[in-house]
Amino acid sequence: MGGVPTGSIVRAGLIGGAGAIFIALVGLYTKFADLALVGEQITLGRLLILAPALVAGYAVTRPRIVAGERRSVPFGPGVVVGVATGLVGGAVFAAAVAFADWFGVDRIREVFVAVTEELVDFLTFDKGVPAGLPLLIGLCVVGGAVGGFARTAPEAVRRPASAGVLAVILFGLLQRIIPIVFVELGFEADWLYERSAGLTWFGGLIVFVVAAAANALWNRDGGRTRERVRRNVEQAPAAKVGLFVAILAILTILPLLLGTVISEVLGSVMIYVLLGLGLNIVVGYAGLLDLGYVAFFAFGAYTTGVLTGAFLNTTTGAATPALSADLNFYVAVWIVALLAAGVGLLIGAPVLRLRGDYLAIVTLGLGEIVSVITASKWAQPLIGGPQGMRGVTKAEVFGLNFQDNPQHFYYLALAFVLLAAFVSWRLSTSRIGRAWNAMREDEQVADAMGISTTKFKLLAFALGGAIGSLGGALFAVSIGSLTPASFEIFVSITALAVVILGGLGSIPGVLVGALVLIGLPGLLREFEEYRLLIYGGALVAIMILRPQGLIPNVRRSRELEDEEVSQDAWAAAAGARSEPVAAVLPGGGLGVEQEDLE
Amino acid sequence: MSAPEHLLELTDVAKHFGGLYALSGLSFRVDPGEIVSVIGPNGAGKSTMFNVVTGLYEPDDGGIRFRGANIVGLKPNQVTKLGVARTFQTVHLFPNMTILENAMVGQHCRTRSGVIGSVLGLPGTRREEKRIRERARESLGFFGSRLAGYREEQPASALSYANRRRLEMARALATDPALVMLDEPTAGMNPRETLELRDHIVRMRDELGLTVLVIEHDMRVVKGVSDRVVALDYGRKIAEGSYDEVANDPQVIEAYLGTKALG
Repeated sequence: MGGVPTGSIVRAGLIGGAGAIFIALVGLYTKFADLALVGEQITLGRLLILAPALVAGYAVTRPRIVAGERRSVPFGPGVVVGVATGLVGGAVFAAAVAFADWFGVDRIREVFVAVTEELVDFLTFDKGVPAGLPLLIGLCVVGGAVGGFARTAPEAVRRPASAGVLAVILFGLLQRIIPIVFVELGFEADWLYERSAGLTWFGGLIVFVVAAAANALWNRDGGRTRERVRRNVEQAPAAKVGLFVAILAILTILPLLLGTVISEVLGSVMIYVLLGLGLNIVVGYAGLLDLGYVAFFAFGAYTTGVLTGAFLNTTTGAATPALSADLNFYVAVWIVALLAAGVGLLIGAPVLRLRGDYLAIVTLGLGEIVSVITASKWAQPLIGGPQGMRGVTKAEVFGLNFQDNPQHFYYLALAFVLLAAFVSWRLSTSRIGRAWNAMREDEQVADAMGISTTKFKLLAFALGGAIGSLGGALFAVSIGSLTPASFEIFVSITALAVVILGGLGSIPGVLVGALVLIGLPGLLREFEEYRLLIYGGALVAIMILRPQGLIPNVRRSRELEDEEVSQDAWAAAAGARSEPVAAVLPGGGLGVEQEDLE
Repeated sequence: MSAPEHLLELTDVAKHFGGLYALSGLSFRVDPGEIVSVIGPNGAGKSTMFNVVTGLYEPDDGGIRFRGANIVGLKPNQVTKLGVARTFQTVHLFPNMTILENAMVGQHCRTRSGVIGSVLGLPGTRREEKRIRERARESLGFFGSRLAGYREEQPASALSYANRRRLEMARALATDPALVMLDEPTAGMNPRETLELRDHIVRMRDELGLTVLVIEHDMRVVKGVSDRVVALDYGRKIAEGSYDEVANDPQVIEAYLGTKALG
């Protein structure tokens, strides 16, 4: 069918059906059954019914290599293939629902707690098992068709359409934030959103049209406009500065627009931006995979507590730690960073000879050691052990309180983020960054070219550790009390996910990665318990679709097209200075590479 | 102490991997301003000798002196800093860095900007960065316009094979060495590029005042550039002398062609 083997369709359909069953078993459907995105009918739960079929339909209509030739699936047959895929997937899903109903929901619930009568009602649209199943299958068929459409429709249609749909979903999900922004800016939001629900039908239509139109403009003349904008931003310093100022302005004004609750989320985003920036130096610049980054986070937090006069929680009340100082936060934080750099050297020294997997395992262990220490009896006199510490400084200055006011805290964190970003940026464009880059690409050759890999590995661990400890220090200030539960391996993994999702070695990437991975789940409270599932899904998706990250490091993703353009420009500038002599290379083994012999 | 006129001096160097002697009792010297070629069949120990000299391997026995100082046990970056630059038998560039950056890495060991200077953008650091850039361009310019102009900003991976070899040599030149060690610089080049490279090797000595130690299989190049030729086989030196002497040495002919020498 349209060049797609029947076997592939069946397989994709089965996988899609299995995906839907998985979503049902983990309880996502019941969780989001009532989260309306547009009007009352389009809920996130229903969207999730057609999502697996959509993904399957999209995947199965991918271009295939037939007899050494890449063949795209044509538009019409593509949709038909999608429908067939959705039909298979829907049938599997419906069969599973029918089975659950026949077998007894209560018996299944003994193992899968999410399987309830409610779930069956939701999946059969409250029509009961035989009657509702065709609707379920129908929705899956729609999903498959949309998937086929999204892959095979003409570019000029599918790109704007996809952008519009994604925008509507995003606006629907952000239904608690966008109306606040509208009201803060002095606009009405009633036409756009239902009261404490999703978009209105009219609002949804507007969002769709605006996003689709914007996307169409962006792609005009086959993406030339996009290329031109991108090149301007990349090459003109003024455009770069302008973009930076715009981002900074948005970051500055954001908490004022969004109020305290959301500012709290933004505060934790900023903490993870700091962690991400620090880890980015170690992993992104120097190429040392560190899975124990929580060590620096914990060190920064507890050291800040100790240096600013926090108390230990004990069974008999508050106690002063064995070592304690009562410093001003703005003095203490630099000491913390300095000490953390020392810890970075300590952690770095034993792992200098290790690479890749081995380095990752050992740092994982070192991170765990720090986690265990924070919870240990042994460290109780110093940092409180399992009971932890409280009374960390509020970092008050000029009467501003950075612990109880999330908006103030956000600005404090932003200041540290800007500092860390500046340091990262300067380092990455310096001799030091170049040395890290060379080391990451080929350690042995970097050594042979005169770069002391020992020195630069330790430097990366020290600087990365110092920046990470600032994240810990701010975390301590923001919550005021510290317990070992905050310093588990999850922190390391999240920080690494932020860096990878954003794009290794990319400073704006860290910001975007943290916004997506910390900000979105924080804003969408409903997602909180599915956070890990979302991280996993997001990372798998990014590795498949965009392995260089959301905002990749420019250097590393430079595209061939750019080279061609600059080559043309150079040739034009060089004029008739020298005519390249066409030469046939012996053996022709060099393939596409060309050599100009003058 | 050895006489100071020797730039590089190997004395009874041995290196074995398990029971296999890659080098045994190898002694030779390189004097300033010389171009010395190392020849020998595959597996003769030529590249091992390079790796031992540049610190990638530590010799099991023997001494290596550079400008009279013992360099056994030094790390590769320390050897490079003393003034020994090298290229690799299989090209090893930093593929995702630009061509200019690749050459700038070469200047690393001649510069000293640290964290504070880089972060604050101190004037000294900025001047140094400018110097690094100029010196890197100069090294790239040694190969004419092939690595210059628009190409500076291309990733090294965009280069053709021959240009990758050239860039690797430019990177080595950018370390401001006294001795350049080239490991089969013409491998994979076409005859025309090979001829051109021969001139480049000679220019390295005549224009840049460098001493060159080169492993080479192409006998036209060896003949064209060498002041002296050292022939290795099974990790031992089997002949040393002018090209004609070595080329007519029965042991060398045997090593290359087998026992029935054609004369």
